[in-house]
Amino acid sequence: MIFSIECEILLRLISLNPLKGYVILNAAKLFFCSFIVSFSFHTVNPENDGRRLQEFLLNMEAAIRDHPLWAGATEEEVDCAMEGLEKYVMTKLFSRTFASFAEDAKIDQEILEKISLLQNFLRPEHLDIPAVFNNNASWLLAEKELQKINAFKAPREKLLCILNCCRVINNLLLNSSMSENRVPGADDFLPVLIYVMIKANPPQLHSNLKFIQLYRRQAKLVSEAAYYFTNLVSAKSFIVDLDGKSLSIDETEFHDSMQAARLVIKETRIKTPPALDKPADLPVPSRRLHNKGGSNYPFMEAEAGELTVGDVERLLSLYKDVVNNYTNLCRAIGHPPLSKLQPSFPHSEETNVLLEQPEEIMKTDHKAVE
Amino acid sequence: MGCSSSLPDRTSGRLGGLNSENGGAPDAKNLRVKLVLLGDSGVGKSCIVLRFVRGQFDPTSKVTVGASFLSQTIALQDSTTVKFEIWDTAGQERYAALAPLYYRGAAVAVVVYDITSPDSFTKAQYWVKELQKHGSPDIVMALVGNKADLQEKREVPVQDGIDYAEKNGMFFIETSAKTADNINQLFEEIAKRLPRPSPS
Ligand SMILES: Nc1nc2c(ncn2[C@@H]2O[C@H](COP(=O)(O)OP(=O)(O)O)[C@@H](O)[C@H]2O)c(=O)[nH]1
Ligand SMILES: [Mg+2]
Repeated sequence: MIFSIECEILLRLISLNPLKGYVILNAAKLFFCSFIVSFSFHTVNPENDGRRLQEFLLNMEAAIRDHPLWAGATEEEVDCAMEGLEKYVMTKLFSRTFASFAEDAKIDQEILEKISLLQNFLRPEHLDIPAVFNNNASWLLAEKELQKINAFKAPREKLLCILNCCRVINNLLLNSSMSENRVPGADDFLPVLIYVMIKANPPQLHSNLKFIQLYRRQAKLVSEAAYYFTNLVSAKSFIVDLDGKSLSIDETEFHDSMQAARLVIKETRIKTPPALDKPADLPVPSRRLHNKGGSNYPFMEAEAGELTVGDVERLLSLYKDVVNNYTNLCRAIGHPPLSKLQPSFPHSEETNVLLEQPEEIMKTDHKAVE
Repeated sequence: MGCSSSLPDRTSGRLGGLNSENGGAPDAKNLRVKLVLLGDSGVGKSCIVLRFVRGQFDPTSKVTVGASFLSQTIALQDSTTVKFEIWDTAGQERYAALAPLYYRGAAVAVVVYDITSPDSFTKAQYWVKELQKHGSPDIVMALVGNKADLQEKREVPVQDGIDYAEKNGMFFIETSAKTADNINQLFEEIAKRLPRPSPS
């Protein structure tokens, strides 16, 4: 075994201190230096790296189970230690293992661009999603869960984002079909997932999926997790191959819409940054209005009575800029604009209300990786 | 109609996923089996699964939210257990190319058609050929003619199903998810046909 020497060192370190959980982390830190350094001796090859990591984790698990100090440990404790190891080592190896292959980065970019075109015109009908499932609040929630995937570095947490997204969709399907006396199955699930994926357009989608596939502990990418993960892979693959024939849409209409979307995107690229970023270009508000402190928002202090008809045009243009910027900002931070959601209730509660998930597996320690 | 009352119980829903997976490492006595469902939309795949999962009382079985992934454990006479992890696939034509992602690594494929629909029988044969070409070579395949309660509307003769299954080395059964006829038998027969890890 390649790692037997490292394992030996680690176990000796562990045995120095009876506080297993605490020690394993410290020992791990020392130990992983050698593992990580050994990684850097090899050229980047995702499949090889994946195999090496899986092998390493298996060996570690076997070593832990064999060690006298862990003799009384429950499955849960061993599992916990293993989850810790996976997270630690993958966080350390992140820059090497995530989207580091030029080919993957290229695929990511192609998917991102294709989806941003599709976003301009794709409607639920094009995927024959029944009207009962049209629920913007749930879809937004599912999108948000999926977008969180880039806030994490550990494979387990990335996978949890996917599972949470699927869970939101499943809840929606179940709630909506309750009244219809229907059983929501894959026929209902997959189209909605594809639609949510297109709306969410999470950057580096391909790399994220590949990362989970290669680096999530194999024993954990099974069963229900594997099923939903496969659905994500499947939705991605559908989008990559998507053309006029894949949708319920006239083929010429599809091509025209894609073309139009290309123009729209080109234009918005040229137009940016929006007017609010360069207040000098703004029309000067009427003299009577205060403009305290050179504010970018010249009408902030204005009274309704002071406004002239001539101000309407400027106000409207300012309003549009503010809304645009706000929407862009929301998109950037993955938070849906207020107008599309029920009035503000805190994010976490909102999630719980819809998720109804006592399941432990779903309880991700949603702390973003520093 | 059909299985409308068979929605999974949401309040007791527990995920059979990550945490419990390591617990019972699969061994010769406790098999964990990936089963993929294939067939046209509307032939009754979801109903069959729900009937199977719901119809059997097993306090340890975990029913999840949503019917596209479900699992159910059955005990066989030789005191072994088989946990079926049932993967539903989208039956619409536009997703046909994605099926290999789902049946890859499956130990069992259940191909379902509707005995009142010759088209669905043709589609079933397409799936069988797909599986023979791209599935794992030792996959256990079952051909299921569902909606057997609709005798008066039957358009696919039993014998056609029997013959086709025999020619392709498959297990064949006609079921009704509506009356629960042959549903448990379907899964029990599959369980019996699974290759067992040889006791070492
Ligand atoms: N009469 C009858 N109807 C069935 C049976 N199984 C399913 N159905 C009905 O067929 C329709 C489609 O069933 P579903 O399970 O959703 O099909 P799926 O698309 O293959 O999952 C539903 O309306 C069911 O009520 C059956 O055994 N007998
Ligand atoms: Mg179904």
